[in-house]
Amino acid sequence: MLQFLEPLFATAMRLTRNRADAEDLVQDTFVKAFRFSGQFKRGTNLRAWLYTILHNTWRNRRRDASREAVEVDSEQVEQAAAGAGGGEPVETPERILMRSTLDADLQAALDDLPDAFRQAVWLRDVEEFTYAEIAEMLNVPIGTVMSRISRGRRMLFEKLSTPAVVVPAEAAGGRR
Amino acid sequence: MKPNCQRICDLLAQYADGTLSDAERAEVQRHLDACPPCQAIAGKECGARQLLRACAERLRAEPVPPGLRSRCQALSCSPQAGHPWFRPAVKFAIAALLIIFTGSLLAIVTRQSDALLAAQLTADHMKCFGLFRPDPGTTMDAAQVERMLMQRFGFDVHVPPSSDAGGAPGTGAQAGGVELVNARRCLYADGRIPHLMYEANGQDMSLFILEGESREPAELTAFGHHTRIWSRGGNTFVLITPAADNSVAAAARYVADQAR
Repeated sequence: MLQFLEPLFATAMRLTRNRADAEDLVQDTFVKAFRFSGQFKRGTNLRAWLYTILHNTWRNRRRDASREAVEVDSEQVEQAAAGAGGGEPVETPERILMRSTLDADLQAALDDLPDAFRQAVWLRDVEEFTYAEIAEMLNVPIGTVMSRISRGRRMLFEKLSTPAVVVPAEAAGGRR
Repeated sequence: MKPNCQRICDLLAQYADGTLSDAERAEVQRHLDACPPCQAIAGKECGARQLLRACAERLRAEPVPPGLRSRCQALSCSPQAGHPWFRPAVKFAIAALLIIFTGSLLAIVTRQSDALLAAQLTADHMKCFGLFRPDPGTTMDAAQVERMLMQRFGFDVHVPPSSDAGGAPGTGAQAGGVELVNARRCLYADGRIPHLMYEANGQDMSLFILEGESREPAELTAFGHHTRIWSRGGNTFVLITPAADNSVAAAARYVADQAR
């Protein structure tokens, strides 16, 4: 199981966006994994099982903390995303992205996505889990997984292809 | 949007993933060729997917805090950890026990004598600086060394950084210009202890870490080198410096203070 520690921690970082919380979450995941190891079915995917525990633990924790439910921000964004996409055809989008996207930018753009979309895109494109595995981890139907992946990718692309707005000191400080 | 667009958009995740059937894929492709708005959306989704796949390995390589790794390791060794997926490993358990037994014997033997420890590690210190001295001016980043020691050898240790590396605020010039120049796996006992190599004022210093071992503090001299042995936080540290050379005293204090 320890061989999954590094990617699991990276996933926890994207979930919590906070080192201390991520550390806590991963440790809890391991505690549960060892405690409930009897429930693990041999021949099934140990990595997927660990990620499911990680996401369940995170959901429970967020519920406990009675923080804003995932659905709230996803609903807003689904509306926003539905409006997008009708604009000008973008020429060679891959090139725009590949041009000079630094890892840090990519990570920041990912972190900027609403939770539901970030989780789905991360599990699919970084971790390469199947739709069915992701559906189980996130506890949503497969159709929802696919639409979140779709929209998450679109949002990520848009974030990366929009240059950051730099506010000049004069404008920011009102100096004149 | 054409009436067909929603249906096509629903297939775009799989289109970008390459998991559609040939027939579906051909249908999506036909639509995209004729519908620029959908083509733009597909371009974004495919672009994001490609970028993430290209960067996936780097994104997954998030450095794990050393404490977390050791805690998870400890969990995996706890009595609760008797699990279906470990069963195939049972046959290796006997081999592992043998190794542990041999290791314990070695530990007992070596613990008998600080002098023996000092002599062995001083020999190693001289050998490593003889064989593996890096080019002048080479310094290593402590965090990178920690990572390398963990990845290559499974050592979960704190590496005292060079004194001017910014990792040790407040030490400044009093730290004696210590530079971390190399790190190796030491051939002591059964070859499993980290050896950190430092330079200060043109002199060689070595810090060895014996994980999970405690000893009484001791200072002694072997082969013209000074050896200081002490324990902290369940680990034993052995610092080797040239004997009778006060120019490295501050540097030695710095490394000893940083070791934990």
